[in-house]
Amino acid sequence: MKWLWFAIKNVLRNRRRSLVTILIAAVGTAGILIGGGFALYTYESLAEMAARDSGHLILAQHDYFDRDEDTPMQYGLENYAALRDKLELDPRVRLALPRVQFSGLISNGDKSSIFVGIGIEPDGEFSVKGPTMKVLAGSLLGSKSDTGATPEIILGSELAKIMKATPGTGLTLLSTTTSGTLNALDVKVSGIVTVGVPEIDKRLVYVALPTAQHLLLTDKVSTLSVYLRDIGQTEEMRGVVAAMFPGNALQTWRDQAYFYIAVRGLYNRIFGLLGLVIVVMVLFAVTNTLAMAVVERTREIGTLRALGTLPSQIVRIFALEGLVLGIAGVFSGMLAAAGISLLLLFSNVQMPPPPGRSMGYPLQVNLSANLYLVTLIAIITLSIAAAWLVSRKAAAKPIVEALGHV
Amino acid sequence: MNSTTQLIRLENVSKSYLMGQARVAALREVTLSIEAGEFTALTGPSGSGKSTLLNLCGLIDQPDAGHISIDDQATGKLSQKDLTLIRREKIGFVFQGFNLVPVMTAFENIEYPLFLAGAGAAARRERVDEILSRVGLSEQAQRRPDELSGGQRQRVAIARALVKKPRLVVADEPTANLDSATATQIIDLMHELGRSNGTTFVIATHDARVTSRCDRSIVLTDGVLQ
Repeated sequence: MKWLWFAIKNVLRNRRRSLVTILIAAVGTAGILIGGGFALYTYESLAEMAARDSGHLILAQHDYFDRDEDTPMQYGLENYAALRDKLELDPRVRLALPRVQFSGLISNGDKSSIFVGIGIEPDGEFSVKGPTMKVLAGSLLGSKSDTGATPEIILGSELAKIMKATPGTGLTLLSTTTSGTLNALDVKVSGIVTVGVPEIDKRLVYVALPTAQHLLLTDKVSTLSVYLRDIGQTEEMRGVVAAMFPGNALQTWRDQAYFYIAVRGLYNRIFGLLGLVIVVMVLFAVTNTLAMAVVERTREIGTLRALGTLPSQIVRIFALEGLVLGIAGVFSGMLAAAGISLLLLFSNVQMPPPPGRSMGYPLQVNLSANLYLVTLIAIITLSIAAAWLVSRKAAAKPIVEALGHV
Repeated sequence: MNSTTQLIRLENVSKSYLMGQARVAALREVTLSIEAGEFTALTGPSGSGKSTLLNLCGLIDQPDAGHISIDDQATGKLSQKDLTLIRREKIGFVFQGFNLVPVMTAFENIEYPLFLAGAGAAARRERVDEILSRVGLSEQAQRRPDELSGGQRQRVAIARALVKKPRLVVADEPTANLDSATATQIIDLMHELGRSNGTTFVIATHDARVTSRCDRSIVLTDGVLQ
């Protein structure tokens, strides 16, 4: 405790220099925490978006993910209702949603365009989409949309523009059936949505599951998307579901989240490099401050050595000074970062849309206990290491030489 | 004097320094014994080797040749750590420029050698209070060196040197930076405290008042004892 008290007094000896060093360490710490927290928030948001889109687990017929279909639904799931009932018995499973993936031409009578369609169960499907899908006009599909008259569809915003469609507009879907023939179906636009990706909005069509099956002349579905109550249980449930249905193929949201994986790889490199630069900057600042202190106090080091202080105890004094500077800097930086994170949480600052996207997203910074702990340990360790580096030579200097230092 | 009262012994000790390209002899085959409890003045002109001899007696420097023993313990083959531990236990230092630690109060400066020696907090406080009282600085205990006069600083330095009751105190020009009246007080103080503890003093000095108060005066000229 006495050594620490001595170190604190030494840090306060040149207050302005110490303050500048602490500020550099604080700014560096805040930079790492804000940059890292933003990256973590981005990963979390993209993971959620990907999982909301595909489902946490995707169950399919065993060849579905590996082979191209010769005809639509060649590798479709036949017994999906039984699979679904069994899956939904597990309390960790929130929903299991059947989907039919199909494509074809959509026409307004004057003009045709390619579409990518998804047959869904509207109530369940739209409840899991959350903020990843925004309704721009009209309404979403109702659960009884195919019971009577013309089946309803939801269009992506760009495709609606191409088709000059608004809610209520009549269109025709043309697609290949499971037997390889063409089938057409008249439909009515119920609503127009965007998923924030113009390339998808240009092709997107949602129809109710029976409508899709009717168009393709099938009673199969493409996949069963399993939504869990907690994304953190994905890997655990992958094993459970794989064991439950060994004859089927299974993927997780991560297997299909190409954008998430690409962004994570890019951000890891960018923020990793940024973190490294900041750490080096803090290391130089602390090294510079303590190196000056060592030179200025060489005579004092000689005196302390003459009085019986071991070189290791001299190094300990400077290491504790590094510790004090590091702690002061890192805690100031952590407070600043936490303050900025909370401010952003309540201020709704929007980021511009990322490349390939049409919707911005809120600028937020995660408060990660792990990130804070790792940064705390890294900055303090570096500060101590810097002190050790600069003081060990002075501590070993001959006493007479140190006492004669001017 | 017999060997049992001999505190420090130098036999044929030589020391030289490199000055640029040239090697300059500071001490030449000095043989010297200092008895326990003795007040010894080390005099001679500047550059005669006083400080070098003092550094060797204080074990903060090592000779190029010859042997030094303290309390009959040869020091030539001791490691730096062992030498440090001997200094910590047996040797006190008084420097010309006081060499107090500026961020420590007078109390903390005096307490430091006891802290190094591993004394407990209560024992340290009792001993420091006692010696502060004896050097007349009880009221200044919580002042830092820059808040003290030159004489007061040297009193703190003497208290720091003597607080652990060392066998030997080496003092390098302890009165050089003090006015005449203060210098006399400092000499009296060293005498009083040294005598009461049975401490041996080796004092490098140009000051005739210091020399006159010592039991013995050693004169060095060009690194050779006269």
